[in-house]
Amino acid sequence: MPPQVLLVDDSDFMRNLLREILEENFEIVGEAENGVEAVELYREHDPDLVMMDIVMPIRDGIEATSEITGSDPDANVIMCTSVGQEEKMKNAVKAGADGYITKPFQKPNVLEAIDDVVA
Amino acid sequence: MRVDIQSLGTYNRLAQEGAEHAAASLTQMTGIETYVDVTNVTLMSKRDVEDVFGGTTFVGVQIGLDGGLSGQTALAFDRGSAASIVDVLVPGATASEDDEFDDMAQSGLKEIGNIMMGGFVDGWADYLTTNVDMTPPTYVERDGTDVLPNGALERADEEHVFVFESQMTAVDEEIDAYIYMLPEYGAFAEMLEASDDHEDAIPMDKLTVFDEMTRQGAERAAQNVSSMTGIETDVDVSRLSFVPIEDVPNTARDEVYLGTVMEFKGTPGGYLAILFDEPSARTIVDATVPMELDEPLGDMGESAIEELGNIMTSGFIDGWANVLQTSIDHTPPELVHDMGTAILSPIAGRLGQSQEYAFLMDSAVVTPEGEFNCEIYAIPDERKLKEALDSLLVERRDELEADTESLF
Repeated sequence: MPPQVLLVDDSDFMRNLLREILEENFEIVGEAENGVEAVELYREHDPDLVMMDIVMPIRDGIEATSEITGSDPDANVIMCTSVGQEEKMKNAVKAGADGYITKPFQKPNVLEAIDDVVA
Repeated sequence: MRVDIQSLGTYNRLAQEGAEHAAASLTQMTGIETYVDVTNVTLMSKRDVEDVFGGTTFVGVQIGLDGGLSGQTALAFDRGSAASIVDVLVPGATASEDDEFDDMAQSGLKEIGNIMMGGFVDGWADYLTTNVDMTPPTYVERDGTDVLPNGALERADEEHVFVFESQMTAVDEEIDAYIYMLPEYGAFAEMLEASDDHEDAIPMDKLTVFDEMTRQGAERAAQNVSSMTGIETDVDVSRLSFVPIEDVPNTARDEVYLGTVMEFKGTPGGYLAILFDEPSARTIVDATVPMELDEPLGDMGESAIEELGNIMTSGFIDGWANVLQTSIDHTPPELVHDMGTAILSPIAGRLGQSQEYAFLMDSAVVTPEGEFNCEIYAIPDERKLKEALDSLLVERRDELEADTESLF
């Protein structure tokens, strides 16, 4: 059975792009548009991996990651964001993120980052 | 050296009033009613001055200044505007758009330049309670920066120059005129100098570093567009202007744009608008969304523009955050589709509650083949910008990138 992935991004366009990259080798179990939905869907599906945006309305991706890893220390979360600030990356590490992809990305970079985390 | 913001505002106002006198002279001499569209003072690298003037042939008049205010000025028209003015001013002179202007036409333009620039400079002389001497006008018809007086850029000691620019526009006709003044950097910087403990003072060396960081941010934003669309891009111009807050909306072209506006919060904080004209937005969407879309762009097309704005914003502000060793948050992109002035007006309104002037950073991303162009307007909160400059360590100016691999 393919690994299950939860996509979290407020952009339809970006979720669509990630889905196209991943659906060949992964099962997309849910899509969330903000951090609150992400936490709810994580609890519902317990996926193998979360692809998490940072800048989102209602609750950002770092807060959502912190909540997910707080309740499930084994959660695999890769930040998938346009933000390339070192302080933000440190915050993501503190929140429990396992990887960090900066947009815009190419398919090989995404798959390589996932390999590093879930292999 | 620290620059007194109030002084910069005063000189901007003098330039605005001078341009209004010049426009009134033009109206009086030709009967063509003109007004001053916008006046700003810009701190630009020499390279960006060349970009601003590049690709345009100007007809104009050069005049040097000496005395209480030293520097170079130019009154410049595009060729069609100059021909229209000569038609009115010197009936019978040869001044079509295609032919060389004859001696009488050139003489008429020199005289109108002399009178207009006299009006421009008088207020400065009065304010400085000194004489400002003007050289006799020289007629020029040149491309790009060559319209500026010979050696104006080469003579500048510093990598950056101050450029005062006023744009004048006719009410009922297609006539545009520009006044450029490049004061001698050292002398003008002394005029702006503030004491170290001055509350509103901004460190000059850090302002030039920040200007360079802004250009690099625009270049990263341009690279991000290229990565997403596959279309090669370049930054055409990036400049840091000081404008009255009420004039900020007028800096956008009179055109409908589609794009995004974001507020960035931190040190610095402010607003960022990333705007495409409508054909450019269509090109971007066609290049990024691999499906047939509803007209005009559909939800997925608008989402692509929002995401592009998001990614370009990060390209723009991440370098600031990394050099300043801080984090700068930004709001999710707000999609905007309106006239440029209407998009920038609410931003000016919000910032105008606490500041009279704005440091406006505008950059243009273009493509070699003209597939699209994009305009980026960053307008920081003045107080937050000052805090950012105070905390900027010049020796970290190249630390723009985060080291992802060391963290993950």
